[in-house]
Amino acid sequence: MKKKKKIISNTTIEGYCFVLPSFIFMLALIGYPLIYNIILSFKNYDVKTFKGNTSVFVGLDNYATLFSDSTFWLVMRNTLLFTIACLIVQFSIGFLFALLFHQKFKLSGPVRGLLLISYMMPMSVTALLSRNMFMTDGGVINVILQNFHLIDQPIEWLTNTKWAIRTVIIANCWVGIPFNMLLLTTGLTGISTEIYESGKVDGANSFQRFFYLTLPLLKPAIMAVLMLGFIYTFKAFDLIYIMTGGGPLNSTDVLGTYAYQLAFSQYKFSMGSAVAVVLFLCLFVVGLFYLKMTMAEEVD
Amino acid sequence: MGKNKIFTGTPRENRKDIVLCLIAFLIAIVFLFPIYWMAITSIKVDTDIFSKTLSFIPRAVTLDPWIEQFTDAAFLTSLRNSTLIALFSMTISLVLGIPAAYAMGKYRIPGGNIILLVFLVTQMMPASLLLTPLYLTFSRAGILNSYLAPALAVASGSIPFIVITLRPYFKTIPKSLDEAARIDGCNAFSSFIRIMIPTIKTGSITVLVISFLHGWNDLVYSMTFNVNADMRPLTANIYKFMDKYGTKWNSIMAYGAILVLPVILAFVFLQKYIVGGLTAGAVKE
Repeated sequence: MKKKKKIISNTTIEGYCFVLPSFIFMLALIGYPLIYNIILSFKNYDVKTFKGNTSVFVGLDNYATLFSDSTFWLVMRNTLLFTIACLIVQFSIGFLFALLFHQKFKLSGPVRGLLLISYMMPMSVTALLSRNMFMTDGGVINVILQNFHLIDQPIEWLTNTKWAIRTVIIANCWVGIPFNMLLLTTGLTGISTEIYESGKVDGANSFQRFFYLTLPLLKPAIMAVLMLGFIYTFKAFDLIYIMTGGGPLNSTDVLGTYAYQLAFSQYKFSMGSAVAVVLFLCLFVVGLFYLKMTMAEEVD
Repeated sequence: MGKNKIFTGTPRENRKDIVLCLIAFLIAIVFLFPIYWMAITSIKVDTDIFSKTLSFIPRAVTLDPWIEQFTDAAFLTSLRNSTLIALFSMTISLVLGIPAAYAMGKYRIPGGNIILLVFLVTQMMPASLLLTPLYLTFSRAGILNSYLAPALAVASGSIPFIVITLRPYFKTIPKSLDEAARIDGCNAFSSFIRIMIPTIKTGSITVLVISFLHGWNDLVYSMTFNVNADMRPLTANIYKFMDKYGTKWNSIMAYGAILVLPVILAFVFLQKYIVGGLTAGAVKE
């Protein structure tokens, strides 16, 4: 808004008329719950106090309970492990796919489109499918691995506490790879071919062109995909809820599923809210960077 | 391959094209194997499902698992719920979101940046944060176990997506088009409906399809607000159907395949719209 044009007030009113209904809707559906949620986390709302409407403020009690609970720290660790592992895997493979499908060849468009199906289909079906494919006895993944003699014993993909988190990471990457590919392909398309041509003329080999031209020019797209990836992965819910329900023994519980469990299985609404606030604060930090970047681009 | 006719470059270019096609083809086979697996499992006969050795190609094909779903009253109810929740949330999202995108793209209004910021922020909100407050609020308002509750919550995710996706489209429309419409007797609203929306047909189709899929794919809101199984969509009744079918994976996979079908159809018929739209918005719930 550096060069503010003189605005006819009539036009301004028109603009507000178009945007205000949805703005009010968003405030009611997101803004109000956000504040309500923070307030809840300082109260002792559970199924009893909700029915009798007798909840009171308990200060930081819920947070104190949470931070002294080893399960919470396990969940926190799971969430970070899940997010970082997913980011690394889906970004690397997504990047390779983007570089491949950026080349012009006959199948590039159709195949790239097909790969997006895993990203667009309901997460709950991905979870359902994973439960079938990752069965210990007779699951297709174990059968394939055994046929190729890569493993002797079937892996307990979903029932072993050590393996379960890796399995949900693999399933989530299947969804995340096309997302990374899509955003990075768009970034690559934005780089003009003239720059490569002049790089070639200057004698840069393809290795040098990648590291000295592609990567620096792609930096905004890379940052965006990493930050958005972080935000979407950190708040994971659907996939884990259906695949493992957070188990076995909380080994795949992440903040999203844990908050849900506290609020809607144990009806400790305030405890669930406290976990949700922690989740929100973590997203907020990364979100700030993303917003700073996006707003710089969006505002002209 | 033997189809050299379709390759029309120099021999060296052709060779590169064939190699790249082969790589892409292999990636597609590995990456889409789960979809293939779901499809073939859903048409396997029971003896094949319960046999000790896995078959990668069905030993016999049957449509019974599919027919079983479509003759099951509980399934049909869930299917109807899925469709209605998706249509309902899509309608709310489009009615509120498209005008907002138009305002953000075309008008320079005081506070516009802050409003845009709000849309960007809401796009990042985790469902977990909204669930408890919305549940308590909807409970007091008496709209739990309705189509309205999940539709409203899903729309709160689709609206920012629509604003962010369509804003650039509206920006590219020249001012003169609106001015001409005004001279022809349109007011701001009728110019928006009759001139602006048809002009950005591509973008409109994208947000229509994606906001439908947002509602169709929703699990967490429907599951939380609609405890009554008769009001739940297919996604939220997965556990119920899994209990019912146990290890009858052909029936379970048919259930999953039906849920994926709208996504596949959308990709087959509207791929260019969806890919373009996702790129612009980069949003998924």
